Amino acid sequence: MRASIPVMIGFIPFGLLLGRQAVQQGVGVFSVPLMTGLNYGGGSEFAAVHLWAIPLPVALIIGVTLLINCRHVLMGAALAPWLREVPRRKALLWLFLMCDETWALSLSDAQKRQKFSVGYYFGVGWCLYGTWVGSTFFGAYLGAKIGDLTRYGFDMAFPAVFLVILRGMWKDHRMSLPWVVSLLVGVLVYRLYPGAWCVPVGTVAGAVTAACVVRRVG
Amino acid sequence: MHWDSTLTILGMGITTYMTRIGGYLLLGGRTLSPRATAMMDIIPGCVLISVLAPSFASGRPTDLAGLAITVFAATRLALLPTMAIGIVSTGVLRAVFSS
Repeated sequence: MRASIPVMIGFIPFGLLLGRQAVQQGVGVFSVPLMTGLNYGGGSEFAAVHLWAIPLPVALIIGVTLLINCRHVLMGAALAPWLREVPRRKALLWLFLMCDETWALSLSDAQKRQKFSVGYYFGVGWCLYGTWVGSTFFGAYLGAKIGDLTRYGFDMAFPAVFLVILRGMWKDHRMSLPWVVSLLVGVLVYRLYPGAWCVPVGTVAGAVTAACVVRRVG
Repeated sequence: MHWDSTLTILGMGITTYMTRIGGYLLLGGRTLSPRATAMMDIIPGCVLISVLAPSFASGRPTDLAGLAITVFAATRLALLPTMAIGIVSTGVLRAVFSS
C-alpha cells in the first residue's frame, strides 16, 4: 500500500482531467466511472474521450482501445512465469487489476523477493483502481459544473498528458522514425479527411515503419 | 445513458480485459522474440501520436506556438508543471493575439 502512494498522487490529476474532458465531449457523468471501472486503462480512455462524437464511432473507439492496450499482452506474458503456481481461474480474475503501474511494481517486487506476493499485488492493485475510478468520477461530476474551459487553453492539457506519457514510453532511437511517420501521416490524413481516420492510418503507417526499422537494426 | 455509449464502453472493457489475459493465456511461460518485443514497445507510441495529430494540424499560429511550448515542457518536466505551462501559455497566447 505504501508503494502505491506516489502513483496514486500521480493518478489523481489525470483522473480529474479525464473525467472533465469526458463530460465536455458529451460522455455521461455516470458513464465515466462505468468506462474507467470496466476498461481501466488510462491511455485508451483519453483516446476514447478524444474520439467521442455524434454519431459515436463505436468500432473505431474499440479498435483504438485494442491498439493502445495491446501492450498488456506483453506485460501479461512477462508476469505469467510468476503465476505458475496460481490456479488458472484465479489468475485470470487477478489480471483484471493489471495496469502499467501495478504490473511494474509487482514484477519488480517479485524479482526482488524471488516470489510473487499476492498481498502486494492486491494492495497496489486495489488502491490504484479505487483512485482511478474515484478521481475520474469526481472530475466528471465537477466538470459538469465548471463548464467549458477549453476557451482558456485548458484543451492543451490533453496534448500535455499524452506528451508526458510518450516521454515515458521513449526508450531508444529506434522509436523516433516510426513516431515521426505516424505524426506526419496523421496530420496529412486529418487535413484531407477531418475526423478520426487519422488514428488508424497514422498508427498503421508507424507500425509498418517500425517493422522496417526493427528488421534493419535488429 | 444511450445504447451506443453503453455498447462502446462494454466493448472497450471486454477488449481491454482480453489484452490483459491474452499474454497469460497465449504465451504462458514462453518468451517473445526480440523483434516482437521491440514492435510492442514502439506501437503504443504511434497510436498516441496519431490520436494527437489533429492538435498538430490545427493551422492556428497561436495554438501551434502553445503546442510547441507544451512539447518542450513535456521533454523535461513532470505531468503537473507540463500541464500548467501548456494551459497558461496557450491561454495567454490566445488572449493576446485573438483580439
